[in-house]
Amino acid sequence: MKAPFSPYLAEIAPGLKKLVSLLRRRYDYVSVLSTDSKGFSVSIGQRSKSVRNETMTTERGTVVRVYLGGLYSEASFNVFDPAHPEETCRRLINRLERQMKVLEAAGIKPYETGLLPDEPETIFQEMETERLPEEEDMSALIDRLSALSDRGMAEGENLLDCTARAQSTHVCKLFLTEHRDLRQSYVYSEGAVALVGALEGRTEMAYEGVSGRKGPEIFDRMEEDVLPGVLQSLQELLHAESVEPGEYDVITSPDVTGLIAHEAFGHGVEMDMFVKHRALGAEYLGKRVGSDLVTMHEGALCADSVTGYAFDDEGTPAGDVTEIDRGILKTGICDALSALRLGIAPTGNGKRENFEHKVYTRMTNTLFDSGSDTLDSMIASIRHGYLLKGMHSGMEDPKHWGIQCIVEKGYEIRDGRLTGKVVAPVVLTGYVPDLLGSISMVSTDRCVFGNGGCGKGHKEWVKVADGGPYLKAKARLG
Amino acid sequence: MLNQIINLLKASPADAWEVTETVRDGWEFYFIRHALDQNRVVHVEHYQVKVFCRSEDGKYLGSAAGEIPPTADEAEVERLLRQMILAAGLVRNPVYTLNAPEPREKKPAAAPIHPGDISAAFFSALQQVPETETEDLNSVEVFVSSLQKHFVNSEGIDVLSEYPSSMVEAVVNARKDGHEIELYRMYTSGTCDAEQLKRDLSEVLSFGHARLQAVPTPALQKADVLFSTDAAREIYGWYIDRMNAAYKHMKYSDWEIGRPVAENAEGDLLTLTAVPFLPNSSRNFSFDAEGAPIRETVQIEDNIPRNFLGSRQYSQYLGLKQSFQPSNLKVSGGSGSAESLRHGDYLEPVEFSDFQVNPLTGDIAGEIRLAFWHHGDEVTPVTGGSVSGNMKQFARTIRFSRETRQYDWLEIPSVTRLKDVTITGAE
Repeated sequence: MKAPFSPYLAEIAPGLKKLVSLLRRRYDYVSVLSTDSKGFSVSIGQRSKSVRNETMTTERGTVVRVYLGGLYSEASFNVFDPAHPEETCRRLINRLERQMKVLEAAGIKPYETGLLPDEPETIFQEMETERLPEEEDMSALIDRLSALSDRGMAEGENLLDCTARAQSTHVCKLFLTEHRDLRQSYVYSEGAVALVGALEGRTEMAYEGVSGRKGPEIFDRMEEDVLPGVLQSLQELLHAESVEPGEYDVITSPDVTGLIAHEAFGHGVEMDMFVKHRALGAEYLGKRVGSDLVTMHEGALCADSVTGYAFDDEGTPAGDVTEIDRGILKTGICDALSALRLGIAPTGNGKRENFEHKVYTRMTNTLFDSGSDTLDSMIASIRHGYLLKGMHSGMEDPKHWGIQCIVEKGYEIRDGRLTGKVVAPVVLTGYVPDLLGSISMVSTDRCVFGNGGCGKGHKEWVKVADGGPYLKAKARLG
Repeated sequence: MLNQIINLLKASPADAWEVTETVRDGWEFYFIRHALDQNRVVHVEHYQVKVFCRSEDGKYLGSAAGEIPPTADEAEVERLLRQMILAAGLVRNPVYTLNAPEPREKKPAAAPIHPGDISAAFFSALQQVPETETEDLNSVEVFVSSLQKHFVNSEGIDVLSEYPSSMVEAVVNARKDGHEIELYRMYTSGTCDAEQLKRDLSEVLSFGHARLQAVPTPALQKADVLFSTDAAREIYGWYIDRMNAAYKHMKYSDWEIGRPVAENAEGDLLTLTAVPFLPNSSRNFSFDAEGAPIRETVQIEDNIPRNFLGSRQYSQYLGLKQSFQPSNLKVSGGSGSAESLRHGDYLEPVEFSDFQVNPLTGDIAGEIRLAFWHHGDEVTPVTGGSVSGNMKQFARTIRFSRETRQYDWLEIPSVTRLKDVTITGAE
């Protein structure tokens, strides 16, 4: 079925169009992004259960962007009467004028920026889903998650709790300018199983998830597909040793590969950082940043993931950018205002945390391309190293290309074989071109992961996905 | 809208309910160097509702929560509440009760401050940061909000609070011989503390100069690590999380009232206190998110847990009599001065990529962007590599200074020293 576009947004669209035309009398450019996204989050464990009719991306509200005298200004609000747009128009102008007076008193000048184009365009896209979150049978879902939690507790050892989580969001967005009318509706969902266990004073958590641009049907097979792997993972963590700090040959599993993609040449080529001279990537366009085996793509069109939208929060259609082609950095990703400042085309990566937040250049799907090696041949090629699996977190450093990835665990490899020894946690650090330049084998398979969120610095959380194949590289572990 | 929701809840089959109305006036400014990249105004209303339903045998209490959009008409509000009540009836948590009205500590009176006045104070402070030709501000983001929060529940609590909340994100550059580096800081507070902001940013500018001279971190294997910047908050966050009622109920915390947090402690003994107010905190509330009054309460005294604190549900499961969700917290100073902790060899990281302490496992980890390696009489700025280890080991020998420093809602010792931390070098 098609995920139906929001009746609320359809109803207020004429009033918003009138608001655009009223504001155009004063401003040289006006756009409106209005959102109406619904969803649910359910968490069922043995010791706590909760249900919410919201997720990280549920929202209903509007943000207006205006341009005057070289400066872009925005106003966010969530009370709007479509029958009286002139009242909203008056309020927005008053609020922005009060700000301008404070800025003028402080002697602050704008960062002069040109006028955004406004070519006529219409998009109406309702994407496919099997089920809708707002129509999900919550009783059946809670029963299913409870059964999963019960089975986890029955089959696991040293367990404190087994929590099953499910969240699904029906995203609807409307983007209007004087000449553009873009509407999209899609559903994405995420499920996860989290186990917490304790053994001899040590407490550990194991976590695995599923995600995709799909409806709540994605939760139907979590018990079979996710639970066994998490149960095994927890036992490995409870018995893991510390890694001896040093540089090793490593194989990154697809989730860790995705984390490296995200931190290395996701954040590293967000081109709003180029405008501020905050990214080393600007100096490396056309130059080598990885081995010949490294090709990376970024864009909402790259995968049917949690961030597989039709257009971004500035009304730019979704894209698919080849960032790195056989080791050579080709380009980055860009929001519309940064593109205007850099004199390039936007790539469909202008995203907001929600309507209350500013647009930044943000990632969508950030993926390494596949290669021609097998995982077995990669393991066989290593004398002493680790197969890294499971991601906790990472942090970007676009200015200096340092990288930090906190990885759940590493499986020891000696003389071409897995020894059964597990180390955890593992802090992977290094210099991005060294890490990517050391990639010597790439597997044929590829996975995409969309659980969790991504911040810019330490705020502005959005949904992203990343992934790739198994990679063999050299990395510093601690 | 608030009255409409309350009236519908009173007429509904819900056994209990909570509603929080939040009105936010936000002013935001984004700068590239000193030019204004963009300005934003935000005016929003949010209505968070939580409904509770008891099972027929009275043993269980289910809840469901969510937001009612302010643009929802009566039919949509009714439908959303109906969905929540249905979902709450499907959830089975052991029964507990909601907070009822109680006397609370009065917040010190302060005249409401408009976001425009706070913004002007930030502009003035930022213009006074002592930038030079080689060390300056790359970009700054200023967020100022005036918030009104109104909490009402079915047991008779009806409380209102108004408070400011501010945040500044600053990126600092330093350059020499064509090489440029950056350092990152994020500050949160109630209003603008101009002197503190100028002092902190001046310190970061000096760090920028040091980073230009930095050499790769040596492979030290093990070293004492001294924390003197905001990363130290993560260390004390581990103690705070383990004294949370939910963590205790979930068995994520194995700490017991009266049993030391570290056996045979050789370091400073830690005292953690929840307090209702701290100067210019962005969390100066008289009551928590569930309407419980916030009282000064010692949670850990000289390494001995005294009081777990947390939400109503988990507090009741633990049998806590007077509990709440802490807003501001203080860690008392240690036995020696900050200077006395600076002895022997130690690594002093002042900028991490992202220093983290896993609240569950106690694992610490962070990539070093800038640290000072104090070795004999020499002090060398270093970069790269990482620190790692586990708080369960460090808690026995942790040392912290008598002097304290406030980071928004958390006051902690200004210097903290951990013993025998694993250091992965970058050489």
